[in-house]
Amino acid sequence: MTTERPLVLPGDTIPPHLIPSSTTKPLRLGPGLRHLPPSDIIPVVAGQLITNHQKNSMWVEYNNNRYLPTPGDLIIAQIHRSGPDFYYCSLSPYTPHATLPHLSFESATKKTRPQLQPGSIVYARVVLANKHMDPEVECVSQSTGKSDGLGELKGGMVFDVSLQFARRLLMAKSREEGKVEVLEALGAEGLAFEIAVGRNGRVWVGGEDPKAVVVVGRALKETDEGRLGVEEQRKLVRRLVKGMK
Amino acid sequence: MTTSNPTLAIPGQLLGSTSKYQPGPGTHIHNHNVHASLMGTVHIAQPAKAPGPVKRLTKITPAPAPAVLPTISVTVPTRSAGSDHAGQKKREVLPEVGNVVLCRVIRITPRQAVVAILVCGDTVLEAEWQGLIRVQDVRATEKDRVKIYESFRPGDIVRAEVISLGDQANYYLSTARNELGVILATSEAGNAMHPVSWKEYRDPETGLSELRKVARPY
Repeated sequence: MTTERPLVLPGDTIPPHLIPSSTTKPLRLGPGLRHLPPSDIIPVVAGQLITNHQKNSMWVEYNNNRYLPTPGDLIIAQIHRSGPDFYYCSLSPYTPHATLPHLSFESATKKTRPQLQPGSIVYARVVLANKHMDPEVECVSQSTGKSDGLGELKGGMVFDVSLQFARRLLMAKSREEGKVEVLEALGAEGLAFEIAVGRNGRVWVGGEDPKAVVVVGRALKETDEGRLGVEEQRKLVRRLVKGMK
Repeated sequence: MTTSNPTLAIPGQLLGSTSKYQPGPGTHIHNHNVHASLMGTVHIAQPAKAPGPVKRLTKITPAPAPAVLPTISVTVPTRSAGSDHAGQKKREVLPEVGNVVLCRVIRITPRQAVVAILVCGDTVLEAEWQGLIRVQDVRATEKDRVKIYESFRPGDIVRAEVISLGDQANYYLSTARNELGVILATSEAGNAMHPVSWKEYRDPETGLSELRKVARPY
């Protein structure tokens, strides 16, 4: 199945043969597209138009550096200060702080809650985000009460990457679809590290050996900035690991 | 201390003691004295006739009840004689506890909605007073599960009731009745919406619905 992915600019008309038509499922529009009633679909950003005929959805894949919080996103936040019932944490610089309730951690009560210091890093999920209010995040799943890997990230280091690179890292099939093999290559070389990717363009790398953490961070940043392909990523990893030893 | 009654008063001026006068409109009490709050003329209203002397001399009677004291008030004269409504003096209308007011939502936070009070009863106010609708005063039922984002949005016109005069900055309002809530709402697309149920408004052009705390239409 050939997938045509044309480049669209804001205001372009989309060729009708690209719009997935299914009589059973409603057409879902993702980011970058706006529906003007009755039947116009217009891109509002410049990027690649991607359509998924199985799910009957379409969206525009674009790269920008300003993160807009959306409910359900996993992000890396840094605690700024503690308020009466909330922690105030920053998702991205120069934006209003998000609130993280004191009790929204796994099995937290007023007496046994984690005490987070200003500057500590948490892996959280966005609960509420709209243009009228400051965003809210949580470190526990509302329905199950389990943290599922959310919570404080101790030690390690945070690196900034572009939003598109963070999305590619978070893809299910990051090797085929996202063309990101740098993490697997680093693991194959024998480095021991942990990673947490936030959709707000931040990646936390943790591990015992600080040299390994730095090497992983450099590899990610150079893959992102140099827009390296799969083969170049492998070469980069080999070069960095050799320089480390 | 002035011994004679002043005829003109400026804000803050001492008018008399609370043991001699009862405060009326345009005055306030400070340190057991009645002071003027407005700039205007002083009027003293004599009370109804005091009750007759007590028959029994052995009975202890309390000090004269407050209704017996004359009421002192300060009124601002009307601006021009031409616009005289049967000699009535124009006074500024202020929201009181229990009034139903119309207000516009300015800002929402997870715990309260900040509104500007525009109309009190039937009178359009000259100045916009700020009010707060706290999250526990939005609905009468399930007060702890209210989400402000699903009740109000900035720009909505809300019918609310004043529950407290509050502090220096805000009145406190409540929409915890069926006929209180959002009466005019604009959708994200910019169109005026029609109410569908007690918690939903729908945009007729796009067909999308948005959540609000809807006031029951009369």
